[in-house]
Amino acid sequence: MNSLLNYAIPGVPYGCEFALMAVGLVLTYRATGVFNLAFGAQAFLSAFVYDLLQRADGMPQWVALVVSVGLLAPALGLALDRFLYRRIPQASTTGKVVVSIGVLIAIPELVPMVFSATTRTRLGHLWLPAGQVYLHLAQTPITGAVISTVVISVGVVAVLAAMLRWSGLGLRMRAVVESRRMAQLEGIAATRVAATAWVLSSVLAGLAGVLLLPQMGSLDPTQPLEFTALLVAGMTAAAAAGLTSLPGAFVAGIAIGVLETVVQQELPSGSVVAQGIIPALPFVLLVAVLLLNPRLRTLGRDSDPLASVDPPPPQPAVTTRDARLALPMRWGFRLLVVAFLVSSLTWVSDTWVFPFGQGLAFSVIFLSITLVTGMGGQLSLCQATFAGIGAFTTGQLAAHLGLPVLLGALAGAALAAVVGAGVALVVARVSGLLLTLVTLAFALFADSVLFQFSWSGGGLAGVSVPRPQLGPVSFAGDRAFLLLAFVVLVASAGLVVAVQRGATGRMLAALRGSPAGAAAVGIDPARARVTIFALSGAMAGVGGALYGSIQGPVSPADFSYVVSLAFVLVVVTTGSRTVEGAVQGGMAYAVIAQALTYVPTRFAGIELILFAAGALTYAAHPEGIVEYQRSVWLERVNGLLRAHDRYRQERGGGVGPSRHGDGGYGSRRGAAPGAPAAAEVVGRG
Amino acid sequence: MGDPAAGERAGSGEQSAAGERATAGGGTAVAGEPLLAVADVSIAFGGVQALAGVSLAVAAGEAVGLVGPNGAGKTTLFECIGGRLRPDGGSVRFAGADLAGVPAHRRSRLGIARTFQRVEVFPELTPVEHVLVAARARQGGGMLWRDLVRRGTPRPDEVEQARALVGMVGLADAADVPVAALGLGHTRLVELARALASSPRLLLADEPSSGLDTTETAVIAALLRRIQRERGVAVLLVEHDLALVRRAVDRVVVLDSGHVIADGPFALVVADPAVRRAYLGRSA
Ligand SMILES: Nc1ncnc2c1ncn2[C@@H]1O[C@H](COP(=O)(O)OP(=O)(O)OP(=O)(O)O)[C@@H](O)[C@H]1O
Ligand SMILES: [Mg+2]
Repeated sequence: MNSLLNYAIPGVPYGCEFALMAVGLVLTYRATGVFNLAFGAQAFLSAFVYDLLQRADGMPQWVALVVSVGLLAPALGLALDRFLYRRIPQASTTGKVVVSIGVLIAIPELVPMVFSATTRTRLGHLWLPAGQVYLHLAQTPITGAVISTVVISVGVVAVLAAMLRWSGLGLRMRAVVESRRMAQLEGIAATRVAATAWVLSSVLAGLAGVLLLPQMGSLDPTQPLEFTALLVAGMTAAAAAGLTSLPGAFVAGIAIGVLETVVQQELPSGSVVAQGIIPALPFVLLVAVLLLNPRLRTLGRDSDPLASVDPPPPQPAVTTRDARLALPMRWGFRLLVVAFLVSSLTWVSDTWVFPFGQGLAFSVIFLSITLVTGMGGQLSLCQATFAGIGAFTTGQLAAHLGLPVLLGALAGAALAAVVGAGVALVVARVSGLLLTLVTLAFALFADSVLFQFSWSGGGLAGVSVPRPQLGPVSFAGDRAFLLLAFVVLVASAGLVVAVQRGATGRMLAALRGSPAGAAAVGIDPARARVTIFALSGAMAGVGGALYGSIQGPVSPADFSYVVSLAFVLVVVTTGSRTVEGAVQGGMAYAVIAQALTYVPTRFAGIELILFAAGALTYAAHPEGIVEYQRSVWLERVNGLLRAHDRYRQERGGGVGPSRHGDGGYGSRRGAAPGAPAAAEVVGRG
Repeated sequence: MGDPAAGERAGSGEQSAAGERATAGGGTAVAGEPLLAVADVSIAFGGVQALAGVSLAVAAGEAVGLVGPNGAGKTTLFECIGGRLRPDGGSVRFAGADLAGVPAHRRSRLGIARTFQRVEVFPELTPVEHVLVAARARQGGGMLWRDLVRRGTPRPDEVEQARALVGMVGLADAADVPVAALGLGHTRLVELARALASSPRLLLADEPSSGLDTTETAVIAALLRRIQRERGVAVLLVEHDLALVRRAVDRVVVLDSGHVIADGPFALVVADPAVRRAYLGRSA
């Protein structure tokens, strides 16, 4: 008993961190429907600034605290509400999650640009000196860090609970969650409630970050997302509380902190159990809670009884293009492709041929996002993991069995397909937010456990993937490899288009458009998801093998969950619903990175900030901001052509070039039917 | 026992309707079980008892109206039959089999098609594609390979049939327009065409005329009759427009606050004092 206590007590401060995060997550989810994945980034920002101020000579601790947690955090919360989330109350849960991923990636990229990028050790602490032992509890030494963390977290959450209860804010929040519309009819300012929730949760994040400082050892602004443990445990606690109960979230957080330390100490160490199973436990726990907590079942269903009052969420406009544009555009595109190939095979310098090849590999990986997100309608946050499976399988098979790289890539794709189908099977009964969180848990798991073995991702050392050889033809040179990657991309794109146009694509469009309607015609959503996840896994696996082969050595860091998040940001910016979107994204991702090698390294983050900014518009433009701009321009050209027609008709007495129509029926949603045949639908959804 | 609704009759003022319903029900029910048999279904949302022991039967090829004031539980009953809601108690049987635990998409493949009060169409797809997707879903399986082999083009005969069905509901002009660009009247027709595409034995239609003007309503009424008479599809129709109900069905079941309060031929049911009370007492 005593020894159990000995193990349990050190878990309490961790538990308090988890609890703060869980309470913050539940708060914003309840009030605004946003599952705020950026919580860790907000914590990082406050912690960073607190530590920075603390270092300034003669700065009292409380000033640093007031600035970082008392001013900066609420300001950030208000800004998030005001400029991002308030504008998209009607967006789907997925749309909101994408926006929070944008914030999650952008904040830590901005920090080293604004401040300096040097790694700091001997971090600051809050209140009591962290290392000093104050008392013993059941023979366990209790340090200042422990006391500060526990007292401050419990105190803050108690104050919060009192506020929610006595000021009526809790009641208003409940009303807003039940039915935003009804609450507004009752005169509750839903926007004010949301803003309050953002401020409160942001303060909690700041506090959690500052309290975490002494436990972190060092703070490296370029590796800011090492919040994995916090993220996983916080999500688990929030999910255990059904994403609704604040006290539940707090208690669950502490319980998880204690549970994890006890399990770590109690299980035999130095065995397979210690190496494989213990690190995996937090992820298993997270997935189990996500799938088994009955209170999460109804999540993501449209539950506002007055939902029909609201306008439907934005549907991408149906774009038509004038028939006269079809031919020039098609030939223009072909010309572009040929010009790209010829130039990169001949005169383009080696410095650029390499990123071009990378871009082609990324494009193949991004097509897997087109499949699962654009067509399947599910946000997957483990596409880089699938790519990693492809790359590592190829490398390992080549190293140990001497399997040719091309065969290895096929094997990798097959394995990634199986894993993808497995993920979809595990989550067969859920979709939307829950599915997204399970994929994130899987990515985190692969990151910190699965890819760390010498037989899988090789841990820090990584795995080396050779360049392929086809009979006498070697693809070892960058130019030859580029040609191969191009062929693979064309084949992959052809496959995606075939699936999109065919019965599978229609079925997925049906599921995206209306799950209820799809079920009513006999479409099995679970089976559809398994199909698309398997296909998407295979595609990512092929892309990953290509990427590995062009890089040579690859390590788990190349396929970490942060990479998965970055991939998603890129694709939702350039367009997740079309092949063009994936290819533009892949090329841009590689080429911008190469271009940024010419600027000081602390500005390398500009690339991800760009894409994060693009992703922030996802809720408003689910077809991708680039794609949206494209259709706007197309519409302008259409308009010019129409104006030209009218002019010709007026001048020529009505004998216009009547073989083409006047632009089409539905250049904008809601237009009347009665389509002249000459307009062609080029982009829908 | 063969008369599931009889036990539900609570009051005594509807004696005449009860007697009439018994004859009507006896006349339409084929030997053995009716196509759809709902027995004693109950469901509560928090404190609201949306359905309190509802029983009704629909024979093969029969058209039945389901009416009642707002909030009576009509849509909720449809969700229980369609499989999106699981009743707290009671049973739903279709074609002799108990549907408990059968998910919604499987029920559709058994032959239950439906339309929705809040239209549930697929905005990106055209009416023809709606029909294609429904027809293919009925067959199930093997789509991916066919897509890859045929590079995504559907077979000509499938397209032919789909066009015929879209033409039958009167949407030939808009057959290739994404549904997002169509008006409400057209989307309700799209839902009907999609429902028919899976060759159902029972069609559940939830307020197909709400939000439509009188000519559009007339089109829907005629169409429902045709569906029942020419295709032999049994129809269970929820409708507030009693003129439409009169033209489209043989028999009417009245639901109020989760209870069946009348069941019989249209003329008798609307004359029933309990029914009048349920409607007027609420809205007056
Ligand atoms: N998901 C739900 N959660 C809570 N209550 C619900 C839910 N669905 C229905 N109800 C309630 O159940 C009752 C029956 O609703 P239902 O939609 O079945 O009525 P209806 O007869 O279809 O009405 P209408 O003619 O207005 O369509 C109503 O009181 C409604 O508020
Ligand atoms: Mg209804």
